[in-house]
Amino acid sequence: MNWSLFWDLTVSGLTLGSVYSLIALGYSMVYGILKLLNFAHGDVYMIGAFVGYFALQGLGGPQNPSVSVWLVVSLMFLAAMLGGGLLGVVIERFAYRPLRDAPRIAPLISALGVSFFLQNAALLVFGASFRDYGTFDLIGGKTYHRGNVFLSVPQILTIVTALLLMIGLTLFVARSKIGKAMRATSFDREAASMMGIDVDRVIASTFFIGSALAGAAGVMFGLVFGQIYHYMGFIAGLKGFTAAVIGGIGSIPGAMLGGLLVGLAESYSTGYLPQGSTFQNLYVFALLILIILIRPSGILGKADVKKV
Amino acid sequence: MRSRRATAVAALLALGAAFAIVAAASATVNRSAAPSAASSADSKLISCGTTRTMGVLEPITGPAASLGKLQNDWIQFYVNSHNRTHKKAKLRLAKGDTVLGGPGGTAEAVKAAQSLASNVLGVIGPAGSNEVKAATPTLMNAGFAFVSGSATNTEITSDGTRKGFFFRTVPPDAIQSTSVSNFINKKLKFKRVYIIDDQEAYSTGLADAVQSKLRAAGVTVTRDGVSQQQSDFSALIAKIPRDTQIVYIPWQLPPKGKAFGEQMRSAGKGSINLMGSDGLFDDAFASLSGVYASSFPTSGSHPIVKAFKKAHGGDAEFFGAPSYVAAQVVGGAIDRACKDGKATRAEVRAQVRKTNLKKTLLGFNVKFNSVGDIAGGQFGIWKSNGTAFLPVG
Repeated sequence: MNWSLFWDLTVSGLTLGSVYSLIALGYSMVYGILKLLNFAHGDVYMIGAFVGYFALQGLGGPQNPSVSVWLVVSLMFLAAMLGGGLLGVVIERFAYRPLRDAPRIAPLISALGVSFFLQNAALLVFGASFRDYGTFDLIGGKTYHRGNVFLSVPQILTIVTALLLMIGLTLFVARSKIGKAMRATSFDREAASMMGIDVDRVIASTFFIGSALAGAAGVMFGLVFGQIYHYMGFIAGLKGFTAAVIGGIGSIPGAMLGGLLVGLAESYSTGYLPQGSTFQNLYVFALLILIILIRPSGILGKADVKKV
Repeated sequence: MRSRRATAVAALLALGAAFAIVAAASATVNRSAAPSAASSADSKLISCGTTRTMGVLEPITGPAASLGKLQNDWIQFYVNSHNRTHKKAKLRLAKGDTVLGGPGGTAEAVKAAQSLASNVLGVIGPAGSNEVKAATPTLMNAGFAFVSGSATNTEITSDGTRKGFFFRTVPPDAIQSTSVSNFINKKLKFKRVYIIDDQEAYSTGLADAVQSKLRAAGVTVTRDGVSQQQSDFSALIAKIPRDTQIVYIPWQLPPKGKAFGEQMRSAGKGSINLMGSDGLFDDAFASLSGVYASSFPTSGSHPIVKAFKKAHGGDAEFFGAPSYVAAQVVGGAIDRACKDGKATRAEVRAQVRKTNLKKTLLGFNVKFNSVGDIAGGQFGIWKSNGTAFLPVG
């Protein structure tokens, strides 16, 4: 057993998995409340990455930041989360809310439309060129290691930030008033409304939080992998969606677990399976099929029980 | 009685439908087999006027839009320069989006070729070799000369099926792969090489050619691949043995090459040499000090390159430079064919064949051989000093 390779792949999988987990959370939260697959979510993540990039440029750029590096990074996260969150609210207001009582296929098509709109709008506004976060200039290329485990600063930052955000979200949903309203709306929207819960506000808040997490994931991606571009949301969105389904769509811990599993599966298949880097998507989606066959509602999902 | 009548009506309808299908099929056969359509498009006189139209087939949207932008910037730069000196014979561009690498595959290139208007005299592109293959029947049927600045697959000229119609301003993979393998094997004398293609036709073709030449020379080659759309290379990098002497990445997107190099350094494998192909010959990849790239023998001090850099924020965007030359070829052919105020596409093709450009910005003269390749095209090897590439072989 080559332990060095194993740990390299594990760190790589956890880093990527952290990004997928944050994206999956948005899918899962929205699905939990509206039973809607928000296919525009991957593109919100892309816009978040761009907002973070422009925040970085506004603060002097990676080579010459006008404030301390950690303040720059924090402000990038803040800007991307705010930008992503607001975009999520706008999408919900104009693309989904008018279709809330329409047949379920209508908002699905609307979601695909919003996805293409955002992708092409980004191409038009930001251009086709790749944008470079310049992480090496901003944070440096220092790598920490203990035995066989190598971790770069952006990797540590990504894993720790994702973990904190996920813990924060779990506490928020479990303990805050709006969190309780979210759970009630998810359980029975009509009953929640009759109990005096402002369902529109709850749904908008859900979109804000889910999209803010996607924005944060966009910045993480830029910091770890360097380059962002208008098309980056497509595959990441699909992987995030896969993670949400594997974990059990609608379940917050499930989305986290699914994201980490997809990240690790991608990494291990690249490292260990035949032609793994070429066919990693084949392996990841095969895993999705396998899990769905064994547990149709996902690992931590609950089967829909209907009174007959 | 009623059912018999219904049967008769159904039979008549079926017969009618069968006739319609046969007639439609015959018409289709006639259209595709008859040379008349091609020859009429070929010999149709197009009024040149004071503004002549060149078609451009490039990826404007989709995953490779960044490549299309580099090509478009250079083509537009040529058109602007040309129009400043040819007030009564200006050029304009009719662009078709081939969505290279998109979910629609090469069908988008065919659609883009079909959308070229009747006043288009010659075409720059398509960008990708598979797009060239797919769009060939449409472009040849319309009588176009089509000149690509980036399709390097050796077969698209060597198979002879596009002779007289297709030309390119980049030397083919066969030439580039020879330069690369000779440099790795004979100059650097490396014996352990890791090749990673990006799963696109350009990359796999070049990787195959370099791999077979290195293996024939007794070099140990490990081959891998990664999607062009991927940005996380950490798992792939983890697989590269630490005693590897050079990693060769014949990719098309310089920012991805840069990200790969940075992630190699993050993983503690920065001591392994890294080499890209002409697709990575760009300032972004050059920002990684010590990396190699193969490219045509261009020079940053060429007056056209200097003027371009000045107009584009200091970035030479070298990947698009052959598209500038492709525009020079098509634009020059249109100018010559339009001397009497009218031209046919056949005349433009004949003029493209006669191209003879001296001291182009690619570093060599451009004249085409019988199959449409540059006669005497060559590739050199360059090494980055952290900001720019310098010739080393």
